[in-house]
Amino acid sequence: MKPANHFVVLTAAGLAIAGCAGFPDAETTAKSAERMVNEAHTLGAPALIRRSVQDDSQRACSMIGGTGGGANLSQEQSAAIVKAARDSIQYPASGKLSGDWKTGEQLVTDGRGQRIVNGQVEKLPYNGALCTNCHAIDPKEVNAGNVGPSLAAYGAQRGNSEAVARYTYERIYNAWAFMPCSNMPRLGASGFLTPEQIAHVVAYLIEPGSPVNIKP
Amino acid sequence: MAEPMKIRALLKGDVADIRVLVAHPMETGQRRDAAGALVPAHFIQSMIVTHNGKPVYEGQWSQAISRNPVFAVRVKGAKVGDKIVVSWTDNKNDKRSDETTVAAG
Amino acid sequence: MKFSNRTAVVCAVAMALTMAGGTAAAQGKADDGLALGRKMLAEDNPGDLWVERGQRLFTERRGPKNASLEKCDLGMGPGVVKGAFAQLPRYFTDTDRVQDLESRLLTCMVELQGFKREEIVRNRFGTLDRDSDMEALVSYIGAASNGLRMNVRLTHAKEREMYKAGEYAFYRRSGPLDFACVTCHGESGKRIRLQELPNMTKAEEMREVIATGWPAYRGTHSTVRTMQHRLYDCFWQMRQPDLGFASDLSVALTTYLNHSANGGEIKLPGVRR
Repeated sequence: MKPANHFVVLTAAGLAIAGCAGFPDAETTAKSAERMVNEAHTLGAPALIRRSVQDDSQRACSMIGGTGGGANLSQEQSAAIVKAARDSIQYPASGKLSGDWKTGEQLVTDGRGQRIVNGQVEKLPYNGALCTNCHAIDPKEVNAGNVGPSLAAYGAQRGNSEAVARYTYERIYNAWAFMPCSNMPRLGASGFLTPEQIAHVVAYLIEPGSPVNIKP
Repeated sequence: MAEPMKIRALLKGDVADIRVLVAHPMETGQRRDAAGALVPAHFIQSMIVTHNGKPVYEGQWSQAISRNPVFAVRVKGAKVGDKIVVSWTDNKNDKRSDETTVAAG
Repeated sequence: MKFSNRTAVVCAVAMALTMAGGTAAAQGKADDGLALGRKMLAEDNPGDLWVERGQRLFTERRGPKNASLEKCDLGMGPGVVKGAFAQLPRYFTDTDRVQDLESRLLTCMVELQGFKREEIVRNRFGTLDRDSDMEALVSYIGAASNGLRMNVRLTHAKEREMYKAGEYAFYRRSGPLDFACVTCHGESGKRIRLQELPNMTKAEEMREVIATGWPAYRGTHSTVRTMQHRLYDCFWQMRQPDLGFASDLSVALTTYLNHSANGGEIKLPGVRR
C-alpha cells in the first residue's frame, strides 16, 4: 500500500472511532511530553535548568486549548490559583507603593533581563519591567505591543489615591490574584522585579507628572 | 574564494533590468566578534558591470553598503542574448566575476 | 549609452537600510512600510545565496568519510530532496525516531559523512564570523519543495505521539515569566512591540507562516535561520533554558506546528525581519 492510501484509511478509521486515529491519551501524552521537556535542556547550572519545572498554578494554567485568562478552569482551580497569588504578594520595606516615576519610565520600556544563552544568564544590573512589550502606555511611544490592553492615561482615569496605588502594585506583583492564568507574568512573585521596582512602575502609571497621564 | 553572485538580467523594451545578489561580508571595520576583537574592514571597493564587453557601470563602493547586498542597474539598448558580466574587487584584493545573458522579460 | 551609477548605488544603499532598519519605516501605519520592505526583500531574497551553497554542500564529497549527502534519505528515498520538506517531521526506521529536517540532516552528516555530532551542533546557527552548513542545507532542501503543499501525515504511532506532545508543549507554561507558546501565539492581530505574532492556533495563519519560512533569511541576522533557530529564539525570549538542538521537544513542537500548516503552499526560503 502506498503511503497516501494508508493515510486515507487511517483518516477514515479516525472518523469512525471518535478521537482515535491512534492518538495517545492525555495521560500518556503528558508523560512523554514531560520526559521531552526534561531532556530538552542540558546547558547551564541546575537552577537554570529547573526553570522548565512548573509550579502548581502554571500546571493548572497549561490546559490544552486554553488561552490566557483561564476560561477552562474549575472554580476550585481558580480559587487555588488566586489564593496562592494573594499569598505571594509582598510590599516594599518603606511601605511606599508609589515610587519615582522617572525610574519607573526606564523600567517600563526595558524588555531585557534573565534571558539565557549557552547556559549563561545575560548580565545586567537589573531586569527590565517588560511593560511596553505588550502594552501601549506612553501615548508618544509608537514601539509598543498590543498583547495586553492599552494603559494610556491610566492614572488620569483612576487618580493616584492609596487604593489605586495598592491595586496597581498588587496587579503587577501578581496578576493571577486578579485574573487566574492571565497572560501577564507574575513579575513580583517570580522575583523578576523587586518590590521597589514595582513601586516605581506604579508611580509611572498613576502619578500626574508622568507622560502617561499628560493630556496630548 | 568568494561565493558566486546571483545575477538576473531581464529585458523590458530595450532596457535590461539587471539585478545582482552579491555574497560578501561587507565588514565595516567597526563590528566586534564574539571575543570582543574588532573585525577588520572587508568590503567591496570596485564594482564593474559590462554589457557585451563594454563597461556600463563602474562604482566605488564603501562600508555603507549592507552585507550580501542587492544591487540593480538598468542598461539601455540591450537585446536578448547579450552578455552581462559583473565583477567586483574588495579591499583585500579578493575578486569575483560572474556572468549571465539577457533574457526576455 | 548612459551610465546609471547613481540609481544603482541608491538602490543598493536603500536595500542596506531596509535590512538594517526594519522599524524605521514603522511609524504610524506600521504595516505598510514593513510590508513594502518585505516585498523588496522577497524579490531579491539573499536567502537564494544559501540555497546555492546548500546545493553544493549536499552534492560535494565532504567530511572524514569523503561522502556527499546523495545517499541521505529525507523520507523520499536516498538523495531525493524534492518534496522532503513538505512531509517533515516524520518517522525514520533506521533511527527509530521522528525527525525534523535539521535532526535528519544531523544524522546524515554524522552517519554518511563522518562529521562529529558536537561539531555540527556547535555550528548549527551561523554568526557574522562563521557561516553554518546546516542553514545552507536547510535552505536548499526547503527550496526544493517550492510549489508543493505541506503534507505532514502522522501515519506512524510515534508521529502521533510527537504531535500530541508538541501540542501539550505549546500550551505548557513555565519559567520566571509564566510563558507558553500560546501566550503570544494564541490570538490573531497581536504584536510584541511592532513584531506581528502569528496566531498558531489558526490553520490559515499557520499555512502561511510555516510554508513560507522557516528557513527564512533574517535581515537583522544577515543569515538564513531555520525552524530549530526560531524555536530556540522563542525559548530564549521566554527565559527558558537553551532548547537543545534536535531535541525531542523541538521536534515535537515542529511536528505539531508543521502539521497544522498542511495544505500551505511552500515558498522557501522566506524573508523575515
